[in-house]
Amino acid sequence: MDNKTVETISYLARLKIDKDKKEKITKDLENIIDFVAELQDLNTEDIVPLSNPLEKVAPKREDSVASRNRKEAFLSNSPESDQDYFMVPKVVE
Amino acid sequence: MSIRFKTLAELKRLLENKEISSYELVNETFKNISSSKTNSFITLDEEAALNKAKDFDEGKVDGDLAGIPIAQKDLFCTKNLRTTCGSKILENFIPPYDATVVDNLSAAGSICVGKTNMDEFAMGSSNETSYYGTVRNPWDLERVPGGSSGGSAAAVSEGLVCAATGTDTGGSIRQPAALCGITGIKPTYGRASRWGMIAFASSLDQAGAFARNAEDCALLLNHICSHDSKDSTSISDEQENYLDKINNDLKGKKIGIIKEFDISSLNKEVQDSFEKSKKIFEALGANFVEVSMPNIKLSVPTYYVVAPAECSSNLSRFDGVKYGYRAKDVDNLEELYVKSRSEGFGDEVKRRILIGTYVLSAGFYDAYYKKAQQSRRMIKNDFVNAFSEVDVIMSPSSPSSAFKIGSKTEDPIEMYLEDLFTISSNLAGVPAMSIPHGFSDGLPIGLQLIGNYLEESKILNFAHQYQKNSDWHFKTPDLGESS
Repeated sequence: MDNKTVETISYLARLKIDKDKKEKITKDLENIIDFVAELQDLNTEDIVPLSNPLEKVAPKREDSVASRNRKEAFLSNSPESDQDYFMVPKVVE
Repeated sequence: MSIRFKTLAELKRLLENKEISSYELVNETFKNISSSKTNSFITLDEEAALNKAKDFDEGKVDGDLAGIPIAQKDLFCTKNLRTTCGSKILENFIPPYDATVVDNLSAAGSICVGKTNMDEFAMGSSNETSYYGTVRNPWDLERVPGGSSGGSAAAVSEGLVCAATGTDTGGSIRQPAALCGITGIKPTYGRASRWGMIAFASSLDQAGAFARNAEDCALLLNHICSHDSKDSTSISDEQENYLDKINNDLKGKKIGIIKEFDISSLNKEVQDSFEKSKKIFEALGANFVEVSMPNIKLSVPTYYVVAPAECSSNLSRFDGVKYGYRAKDVDNLEELYVKSRSEGFGDEVKRRILIGTYVLSAGFYDAYYKKAQQSRRMIKNDFVNAFSEVDVIMSPSSPSSAFKIGSKTEDPIEMYLEDLFTISSNLAGVPAMSIPHGFSDGLPIGLQLIGNYLEESKILNFAHQYQKNSDWHFKTPDLGESS
């Protein structure tokens, strides 16, 4: 874990790390990665990865309309919207 | 009449006998909250709560929990009531719907008085990562209540409410229950709906309850749990009445002690309490069996790959567009995302998003994420094997009693090890609970009971029988002038 890696993953996560915190966060991330690194020595041959403890297949359902359109309710939580849309800064010049 | 420290069952009786009205109960609750020094609540809902109490008093509401004031962790969406998840990024978020758990509890007639403080996005074991300030432990205001459901645990411990909801991703119900001297339970993964719970790590998150004893937890669980078609991992198996088996005999039952949990390294008082608790169960006729769970030592590192990975994915939805905090003075969309997220999230949340992004990124996925998922299966298999031999597994809930505020904030790994005993149950998805069972340095400590899949009734039975033969759950903090 070095400055460059932290910069790359910060970019991927759309986070900007303050200059004065960069050193501490790099060190923290390095320690955490070291801490979890013991997993790499683990013999996991023939072990199927477990992504969900129940291992159930997601149930299927009818594709039917379940609730009414609540456009106003959802738009009202937006920091900026007009009657029909979420508003964001101009994307195309 | 003082309602402080009354159990849910006691308050129900008082209401049924008309010795108190729900209005008085709710009114008194808000009085107690206003003089509290623990910072347990982020948002209160006084007007609505008092109106609901009036409705109950006028005979318009019934149900198992009718007229009883409870608190909701601020991670559950509550319709028309601000839900922050302990974060600045959701400071002004007012959900247009109720979480299923909230819906269920209100259908049972309970009255939500407010939303409890918590670690930001449930990421923390001390409540110190909350944007709304640290919660203080009612037993010692200089100490943490545990986390992430620290506000709920402190509110019940202080006697502000008799019951509160929590969520548990790696120990966030059991560790604060232990540190605050109350009872807390996390059911089997999938038993309670996650719909309307703000997601942290979706394959680990599970809702549960805090109360003063196991019997109250059983009653709460009857309503918190339900099958929900809106949650694709919701369990559809028939649900038991969790009170039915609570008085079962423990004679001949087997309790597993995990060989690989080195209790001798813990503080002497923690060890002594553990031994004394064993004697109580032995006197009730239960037998102890050592079970080997060789992979359980991998739990904390496995968790700190799986949970951040899922968190980085879940928290990508916070972009300042559809809801939540939006940064000002930005020139373009990219900057809007980056600035809103960077200003809206706290340091621990950022750390976990970055770790998650790292372990999922090209070139590292197999080495970390896939490996952790494999080790997760090995841990689950250890539980499956252990439960072929024993009824429940017993361990301390946390390595020590509540620590001083600020004492572990500099070193994230030291904080992560707080969940040493609790994390494995989340990885396997089995139910687990914590009950008070002694003191260390004058502060409460907890005993953890872990059950097999869907055997909530069994751990509640063990806990209730323990509490019928001990008095730790009757102990309450000395609140000095605030009481």
